[in-house]
Amino acid sequence: MSSTHIRPLPPLTPDLHERAWSSTPHPTLPLLATAHAKSVTVFSLTTLTPHSNLTGGHTRSVRAASWKPNLPPHKLCLATGSFDSTAGIWRWEDRGAEHETEIRNGSDGDEKEEEDDWEFTLVLEGHDSEIKNCIFSPSGAHIATCSRDKSVWIWEDIGASESDDDWETIAVLNEHEGDVKALAWCPDLPGRSRKGTFGVECLASASYDNTVRVWREDGDAEWVCVAVLEKHEGTVWGVQWEGRPRKGDKFPRILSFSADGTIRIWTLTQPSDEDGQEDGAGQGRNALGGIPNTMRQSLREDWVCTATLPKVHESDIYAATWSATTGLVASTGSDGTLALYKENEETGEWSLLVSLPNAHGPYEVNHVTWCRRWDKGVDPSRRGVEEMLITTGDDGLVQPWEVQV
Amino acid sequence: MATLDNANPTILSASQLPTRQQRIPLRTGPDLKYNDIIFEKPSYLSRPFCDGQVASWPRSDANDGSLAAAEPIDEQEIYDLISTISDPEHPVSLGQLSVINLPDIHITPAPHTPGVGPNTIITVLVEVTPTITHCSLATVIGLGVRVRLEQCLPPNYRIVVRCKENSHSQDDQVNKQLGDKERVAAALENDTLKGVLDKMLETCA
Repeated sequence: MSSTHIRPLPPLTPDLHERAWSSTPHPTLPLLATAHAKSVTVFSLTTLTPHSNLTGGHTRSVRAASWKPNLPPHKLCLATGSFDSTAGIWRWEDRGAEHETEIRNGSDGDEKEEEDDWEFTLVLEGHDSEIKNCIFSPSGAHIATCSRDKSVWIWEDIGASESDDDWETIAVLNEHEGDVKALAWCPDLPGRSRKGTFGVECLASASYDNTVRVWREDGDAEWVCVAVLEKHEGTVWGVQWEGRPRKGDKFPRILSFSADGTIRIWTLTQPSDEDGQEDGAGQGRNALGGIPNTMRQSLREDWVCTATLPKVHESDIYAATWSATTGLVASTGSDGTLALYKENEETGEWSLLVSLPNAHGPYEVNHVTWCRRWDKGVDPSRRGVEEMLITTGDDGLVQPWEVQV
Repeated sequence: MATLDNANPTILSASQLPTRQQRIPLRTGPDLKYNDIIFEKPSYLSRPFCDGQVASWPRSDANDGSLAAAEPIDEQEIYDLISTISDPEHPVSLGQLSVINLPDIHITPAPHTPGVGPNTIITVLVEVTPTITHCSLATVIGLGVRVRLEQCLPPNYRIVVRCKENSHSQDDQVNKQLGDKERVAAALENDTLKGVLDKMLETCA
């Protein structure tokens, strides 16, 4: 315990001086998208200064931003979800190396502003009230949005080419009984594919109705709720999937965090857990081929709460993040405390490594995420590898933290 | 508003409202929150234009003790901040309608608790008593209280606004909404609602 510490690194500049809701790291590039007021500021994680701004697309606050994965490095695409009930798709393209040189040779950085050209390419309309979260699927082919209108919408890319932004609603999921606060797509891991029954994509949603729901695409390409996770006694502020492959390629677990001050881990009960032989037999069967509808495996999945993390927070936990590299979990919330937890992989028990009060002084902390380190302060051999935490607060600070375990 | 939810409420006169028996001296300076900025030495008094100490510029810590710093915020001060909010239906204050009552304001940790610093999270719980049990405006009133206190109190204060138990038929729903930071933030971006709130807060000094 004594060897673990979290140390503040210099905050990203400039200070945004207003509530910032969330910061999303790019899946591969050294970029971070921070949603605040009606805009998004993209920070460079190399220089720790702004890279570009997304402004003018929304009439109310932007609550969340998500990077489109699997694009070439000179192309960027962000989806934004706003309190104005719409989601936006934005694109940015590097105008080429020539231009880059021009800028570097130019006087100071004034031209940098002009380079700052995100194009607002499409608005996704349909929700009746504030969008709370908006997120690209691991393949980039789907976007999921959720809202105070209690629904989750799934949109599919039907554009003719990558740059042709044309998205179609393929599902409107109405089973939550309250605002849907956050979404998370299951990452693309070997354990994600379950034999037969479902498509590979899997979505989890967290709600004001105190539940988490798990959604999958059935054999008829219908999105259905396969599980309701009920244990929390307050709004579930969000969900995270386990990003690290599990032994035996078991299905990734879910972590949920709530206004009740608890963080829970949920595990899918898989047939192999109950009967070791079924797994082998199951592989022989070929997906849905030849099996009549009525004989299909039940559309219900059995998710069980298998752990509760040590209690640290006295009030709402607004964010938690689960490292795909180390398996460590960090959480933060209304009390402004930043906490770090580790699982004992033998026993499955979680322990608190460190808890740091007043991470943003007296302010509430709205978000925390694991993120790779790219700045000059890190050893070059560890650049883009070493993980740090980034917290985002009501004070408008975007604060990186060095973590040593 | 065509019909009032409560057409004939009980109204207290100003002399019946709680006040401090012994008035504490009014603050003579600005809020503590801005002291650092206000009393900061201007940058033109810094090097390279100016060497060493400027004797005529007061140090910001010189204000400590003499101004607001010494007096912690107590229940009466919270009461004074919110009892003057106007009812959205009646041209009278929440204090006069007994929607806000001094005994229903709780501060944790209590004022004057030793060891409380500027980063100590202090929770202010305000229990409002809507004038009638089915008052549809309970949420708006609660929101007004929360917004007023968020505007006035330093950032280490967490404001919890609830309906007093059994005073409202949908307590839990209202309490949950008022406790939801995201909903509160979104509500303040709703022009209609913001208009109602601004009107309610107009009467606050």
